[in-house]
Amino acid sequence: MVKRYNNFKEVGDTVVLYPDNYINDIEGEKLEELCTSYLERGFKKVVIDFSETDLINSIGVSVLIGMIEKVRDRKGNILFSGLKQVNYDVFSIVGLTKHIMIFETEEDAIGGNEKAAGAVTTA
Amino acid sequence: MTEAELSLEKLLFNLSTLAELGEEITSPKDFTRVVKSALYMVMGSFSSSKGAIFQFDGDRGSFEPIASKGLGDIGGVRLKIGANATGELVKYKEPLDLSSNAYPVTLLGTAREELRKLDARMLSCLTVKDELLGFIAINGKFSGEPFTQYDHQLLSVMSQHISFSLHSHSLLMKLMHKYTENKNLYDNLRRIYYDTIHAFAAAIDAKDSYTRGHSHRVSAYSAVLAREMGWNNDEVEGIRIAGLLHDIGKIAVDKTIINKASPLTSYECRELNSHPVIGYEILSKIKFPWKGIPMMTRNHHEKVDGSGYPDRLKKGDIPIGARIMALVDAFDAMTTDRPYRPRLSFKEAMDEVKDNWNKQFDPDVVYPFISVIKKEVRREVDNPTIVPLLQEQLDSVTLNRFFEGFPRA
Repeated sequence: MVKRYNNFKEVGDTVVLYPDNYINDIEGEKLEELCTSYLERGFKKVVIDFSETDLINSIGVSVLIGMIEKVRDRKGNILFSGLKQVNYDVFSIVGLTKHIMIFETEEDAIGGNEKAAGAVTTA
Repeated sequence: MTEAELSLEKLLFNLSTLAELGEEITSPKDFTRVVKSALYMVMGSFSSSKGAIFQFDGDRGSFEPIASKGLGDIGGVRLKIGANATGELVKYKEPLDLSSNAYPVTLLGTAREELRKLDARMLSCLTVKDELLGFIAINGKFSGEPFTQYDHQLLSVMSQHISFSLHSHSLLMKLMHKYTENKNLYDNLRRIYYDTIHAFAAAIDAKDSYTRGHSHRVSAYSAVLAREMGWNNDEVEGIRIAGLLHDIGKIAVDKTIINKASPLTSYECRELNSHPVIGYEILSKIKFPWKGIPMMTRNHHEKVDGSGYPDRLKKGDIPIGARIMALVDAFDAMTTDRPYRPRLSFKEAMDEVKDNWNKQFDPDVVYPFISVIKKEVRREVDNPTIVPLLQEQLDSVTLNRFFEGFPRA
């Protein structure tokens, strides 16, 4: 069963989070809080789909690392999808791309299609 | 992306972060939010998952966390560093690698253990001139990569930015503290000043059991009438004080004369009538923050037709404050019991005012006085002052009848 809300979607034990256009101030912590609430409800897999995200700065990176740590502390799995080139470059700079599986689409991430990993959206 | 491209991208990313950090610390946002954002920028730049900013707390003599991330509640953590070590640490502009056991990390003493418990790997001093304001502590990179010399330089520059923010905030706090301290001192002085004036007023009224509270009523009536006449707050405050002190000259008059029930002899009359001049002489030696208090005291027994005392001034020559006080002083004397007669009713008192209209009392003061009383009776004012002290019930209809025979303005 799929439940789609404004900024998140539940698919089985997976939740897909859709950040805003910008993750560039401490308001981005709301995304972290949303992620925590899903982990507390027993969701094991978190997909963050960045299709609508145009800009991630250092504050955004810090927020995302906080989310990754929280998911890993609970032995969950966190995957990224829909990354634009500019954001992929930011993740490369800070070394995240070596540690997070990145998929072209959220469907690939939900399906865990590892062959599709490492891609950047062409959209 | 090639290595060269990655380096260029990294440089641009870090430059952009520095620009954002500069913008953040000069923004008018709440200080807590600014510090938090600054910490997140540092952590994001080095992909750290844990970090904190500590600020020196002069009262506790230790460095206290003012922002943290990834460490849970660290409110109780305090970094205690001796004064000598602080003096040495301030010289190190480069961040300290806490995995080292060498000098200068050893300067941290017990604080080093606290930082290790927080998983801190790099520590950067926040300094302005020779003052150690605080620290930024972050753990190792999420990627596991080591901190490079370039990272050290970047952290050092970011720390300098944050130091300025801490320094400005600290100066602002000191200024606020001084302001509060001075304000409290001023408020205390002001309270003492008022208490002293009230004590004088009580001493004046104590000479005459019949006039107890007279100075306070003259003060309150004068203030409310002055406000009705459009005086500003400062001027109203001045006449309020003048009202409290207007009879201060009576301190020098024999108590038996003040309390005498039978008619006064001419000597006794002269003695009693000397009180405005004595009051003036006392008060003119005091530098009041308000204008005109000595003259209001001197001339509060003048009459507009020139038959008053001590200077026999006519209307325009009598200070307006003294004309106000002349009316309310007489009105209160009439509406309270005296040794030589019981109090007059409100109507009888106002009949006296009417009979002495433009002789003893100034019409320019009488009309606003009537206006205030009407407003108070109609409950058009929040805090009525005169009517509640009159010891009789007044209503609008009766009041209008009282004032029917009054000369028109």
